Amino acid sequence: MTRRGFLRVGSLSLLGMSIQQYLHLADAWAANGLESPQKKAEACILIWLEGGPSHMDTFDPKPNSRFKPIATNVDGIQVSELLPGVARHMDKLAIIRSMKSEENNHPQGGYYALTGHRPTIGELFPSFGSVICKERGPRNAVPPYLLAPMPWETYFPDYKDGFSAGFLGPDYDPMVLPDPSGEDFEVPDLKLPKGLTSDLIDHRRSFLKVVDRHCRDLEQRGELGVMNALSERALTMVTSPEVKKAFDLSRESEQTRDAYGRDRVGQSVLLARRLVESGARFVTASGYGYAEWDTHADNDELLREKLGPTLDRTLSTLIEDLEQRGLLETTLVVVMGEFGRTPKINPNGGRDHWPDCWSLALAGGGIRGGQVIGASDEEGAYSVDGHVAMGDVFATIYKAFGIDFTKTYETPFGRPVYIANGLNNLPGRPLTELL
Amino acid sequence: MEPNRKKRHSMTAGIGVLAVLCVIGLMDARGLADDPSGEPTLISLRFLPEGAALWGSGAAQRFMVLGAYSDGLERDVTDQTWFILSDLEKASIDAAGRLTARADGELELTAEVGKVTAKARVTIEGSDEQPPFSFARVIGGILTKRGCNAADCHGGVKGKNGFKLSLNAVHPREDHKWIVEGGEFQVLSDEASGPKTPRIDPEQAEQSLILLKATGEAAHGGGRRFETGSSDYQTILEWVASGAPYGAESGEEPVVIDGIEILPRESVLGPDGRQQLLVTARLSNGRREDMTDQVTYKSNNKEVARVNADGVVEPVKPGETAIMVRAAGHAASARIGVIAQTLANYPEVEGYNVIDEHVFGKLRKFNIVPSQLCTDAEFVRRVCLDVTGTLPPGHRVREFLDDPDPDKRNKLIGVLLASPEYVDYWTYRFADLFRVSNYGQSGSKYAAMYWQWIRNSVAENKPYDQIAMERIAAQGFDGPSRHYYHIGGELPKPPNEMAEQVRVFLGRRLDCAQCHNHPYEAWSQDQFWGLSAFYGDLTRLGHLGIDMVIIDDPAGHGEVGAGQQVIHPRTKQVVLPTFPNGRALSAAERVDLRGHFARWVTEHPYFAEALVNRIWSIFFGRGLVEPVDDFRSTNPPSHPELMALLAEEFKTSGYDLKHLMRLIVQSKTYQLSGLPNDTNREDEMNYSWHRPRPLDAEVLFDAICQVTDVYGEFGGAHNQRRAVNLVAPDLHPLRFLEVYGQSDRMVVPERKNEANLDQALHMLAGSTYNEKLGRDGGRLDRLLEGETSDREIINAFYMVAYARLPGPDETGVLEAMIAERADRKEALEDMVWAMMTSREFAHNN
Repeated sequence: MTRRGFLRVGSLSLLGMSIQQYLHLADAWAANGLESPQKKAEACILIWLEGGPSHMDTFDPKPNSRFKPIATNVDGIQVSELLPGVARHMDKLAIIRSMKSEENNHPQGGYYALTGHRPTIGELFPSFGSVICKERGPRNAVPPYLLAPMPWETYFPDYKDGFSAGFLGPDYDPMVLPDPSGEDFEVPDLKLPKGLTSDLIDHRRSFLKVVDRHCRDLEQRGELGVMNALSERALTMVTSPEVKKAFDLSRESEQTRDAYGRDRVGQSVLLARRLVESGARFVTASGYGYAEWDTHADNDELLREKLGPTLDRTLSTLIEDLEQRGLLETTLVVVMGEFGRTPKINPNGGRDHWPDCWSLALAGGGIRGGQVIGASDEEGAYSVDGHVAMGDVFATIYKAFGIDFTKTYETPFGRPVYIANGLNNLPGRPLTELL
Repeated sequence: MEPNRKKRHSMTAGIGVLAVLCVIGLMDARGLADDPSGEPTLISLRFLPEGAALWGSGAAQRFMVLGAYSDGLERDVTDQTWFILSDLEKASIDAAGRLTARADGELELTAEVGKVTAKARVTIEGSDEQPPFSFARVIGGILTKRGCNAADCHGGVKGKNGFKLSLNAVHPREDHKWIVEGGEFQVLSDEASGPKTPRIDPEQAEQSLILLKATGEAAHGGGRRFETGSSDYQTILEWVASGAPYGAESGEEPVVIDGIEILPRESVLGPDGRQQLLVTARLSNGRREDMTDQVTYKSNNKEVARVNADGVVEPVKPGETAIMVRAAGHAASARIGVIAQTLANYPEVEGYNVIDEHVFGKLRKFNIVPSQLCTDAEFVRRVCLDVTGTLPPGHRVREFLDDPDPDKRNKLIGVLLASPEYVDYWTYRFADLFRVSNYGQSGSKYAAMYWQWIRNSVAENKPYDQIAMERIAAQGFDGPSRHYYHIGGELPKPPNEMAEQVRVFLGRRLDCAQCHNHPYEAWSQDQFWGLSAFYGDLTRLGHLGIDMVIIDDPAGHGEVGAGQQVIHPRTKQVVLPTFPNGRALSAAERVDLRGHFARWVTEHPYFAEALVNRIWSIFFGRGLVEPVDDFRSTNPPSHPELMALLAEEFKTSGYDLKHLMRLIVQSKTYQLSGLPNDTNREDEMNYSWHRPRPLDAEVLFDAICQVTDVYGEFGGAHNQRRAVNLVAPDLHPLRFLEVYGQSDRMVVPERKNEANLDQALHMLAGSTYNEKLGRDGGRLDRLLEGETSDREIINAFYMVAYARLPGPDETGVLEAMIAERADRKEALEDMVWAMMTSREFAHNN
């Protein structure tokens, strides 16, 4: 890209930007070239590791872990012995080992990891899923943004906020699904009640035409028009066989359901794949329940007994499945929690919160696998070569989706904020190695 | 002596007038001179300002002449005016109405348009005295007028290209430092970063960066702001050459601007109108000074009206907007209405109370005719929903409609304000605003304490300042203290808590000032942290899980450690509790910090207007300031005088909530019909007709339960029938409430009530709309048991859902539709479903 090129682009968005931010962006542009936005990703699956996974016991093996490092199918890259299935697919995965978060507790950390912003009382920032759905829009009648299931059975509003659309409004909030592994899994309001046939719906709508007669004048002008359009879309959704099929896990073979795992983790990821295949844009598979990765006690046991095996099984199955179906090229998979865990084991045999250095993994959607970005020190305590911020990860993902990662939104206070917001509110920079 | 006459008619204007005359002459030559038909005639003139007192050498004042015309419009006729001065020795005046002082004394100024005249008195003093120099006024004025310190230039939060100025020169001391010393602004430190480049060069004044950049001689992203040799250039040049003083060096504080005023505050323009704005500064020495030529003008909506650099406003298309005026350190606005035409026969519109006086007065000026009064049926449903959050029961509707008493509306208002449903509804409103939840108060027990305090306060109609005092200053283990006790025993952070209280009780959003001076307002970061420090002693005593006490403890014996010292993020210094005017609490005063803060809040003039606006918006669906808690100089109220008056009324009444509500619902403005007319159809902000407002989630849910007479959704141990009575809504998640925008009460609620897809899905397939329809024991089921006719059933549902009987165009059609169906119950269920999903039902009309 020519210098003139980026100056021209720069001057468009220079308003309200400090010279520091500007140079930061200019670097990003110079390194990546804004002129040929790459666009491979069409959909995204986020596997949410609720509670914050121990990085040195998973993607960043260290001597201070009980678990041994094992070789992968990529020379020179090792992962924890807890992830043998993942190791076979390392060529498709990229691991970032120098993540840094600015928050050290669950609701705030989750919020930060999902939005790139620390929580404030006045503004609710959109999750990166909401941003992708806003920028790329729905693909068909299937709802674009879904969350399956809500990780917490108790009502924890400020945990939930991270997944929301924030100030973008309810149009970009995820549709929240119940636990797909349940016997009676059913999506609320997506199935007509027993006995309510489409004939009956027609009847009801003719009655509605009569009783709304007095407002017909107003109907022409906006509000009701919007509701009418929404009603049509709703009707299409509840009557569309495609939508119905998208949520119907019973259409998967027993073999596939078993391979993903018959628990919340496995079935939520399987449902995510079904949805993405049917047209969803962004699905958060949040099968791990409240604090499941929050191993303050008995870290090693929990990882050995449940967390490691379920993650390994489901993630490796997903990658194989996507690849077999030809969806891996267009489906970006993100595997992360809200932060990492302490290098030292505490007196309860647990590991506590560690936001300074942790790992996440990406695959598919145009991400170049088989590599590790960043490195942590001997113990996995601090990065040895600079940090990667959530904003950088978001910028990478947006770029993979062909979204202008330098874009800003205006908050309700009229404050411009980057959709890829990095450390210290600097714009995030795509990780060039990954694209 | 011959009076000094000047008439302004530039050549072009003169030719224009001639051309028009010629065209008209060609079309119709009859009696142009004396035929006023169609053309409004001039009735009287007035001066703005009405008079002036000038002080200082070369002092000037611009005068404007407004003419009242027979069509009810007032037009700016300054450029058709002859100005006559009684004494030419003492002053001169130019054609634009700019009067310049020459010598001390008094004189009379006369304006003449045709035979109509007006007079103004002018006094001149100190005509040989030089006003003392003030950096803030002189240099700050130029930086403001030339846009250098605008928000998108150097006035941005971090400045621009390494040069920072305060927006509008609100912080002249800092500006002086940035110009004279240089350095780059940092958000997280008060140390300037980067190389320090002074913007001036006293040795070679004309080589000063500030001049080279502004004149475009050095590359400047902002382009050329003024010419080399212009008067602004000269002023800055001389200032630099004289050592770049601040103006207080002599020990005497320079005269500063206390505020600015715009004349006229409100004006209405026809399609070809134009209006000059005059800006006057109120100075700290008690004098006033014309600033018309030293400010920047900006239209809030350029699609409605434009304004040029001289302050002349011109219409674009019908509508309403504000013209923002920025002077050094200050901003103000004037309201401009643009109308398509004047109405020949504007009807006589009578008001009921002071609200109508202002609302109807403005409508008259804007040539908008208010709709008729609403019918009794419209009124009874509307006022019941607004005062009690409840649909009127069918038999009460009949009673009201049949009552011949001409004062029955006021009687009903009295009954509603005294009803138990009033307490339910306003408890819910304030529980939403004050954020009562299981999560927020760390458990249902504490949430219930907090909620009960709100309920008691509403029930006894506690003065609102007392409510605010109790919430802000809460100590101990009472209801309001639970506001400060979050899940896990966490205490709120001082800046967040302070900003929330200011937003709730003063209607201002200070949040921006947490990290930097507010980008659009005169709130500084220091003020923000000074106020936050009033929360610095907030702590708790006791044990988690057991009853915990909230206290202000300077020693900080609480579980959270040695108090929460409030540290300024830039200076890294401990901040003392300091009021925005800079007064810090003395050591002796530093007990019960939140008590001090609560008094400051409740005694602030913003306190009453913030609440008035909040209540008003609940009754009208739109605040006089909108958004309701975003008062800003750049976001002025639609009816400033009414706002001031209601705030005063509220204060005088002893902050009596019911008094304010009564005033609102008794007004004719509130009681206007929901049917627009040809003049007001497009009106969105002047309350000329009753725009339907969507019901809030809880109220709509309760209404559905009421119509179907099927309750019990929140059953079990928590035996509440109505959603508005839920103490901690987060303990009773309900899909309906969620999809209709219930607040989770984690932040100050901002309900948008926009239609969304989830609502559409829920209407179609959801339990609320499907399972209540014909349920055993419900309204429809009982009516069917009673062998009621279709018509009676239709009527019964219309009365409870819409508070009216069906029209002739409805009854017959509905009857026929039911009759043709094989399954009567199913058909009636379909009708009830249709009514509950109808727009008329889901709105307050």
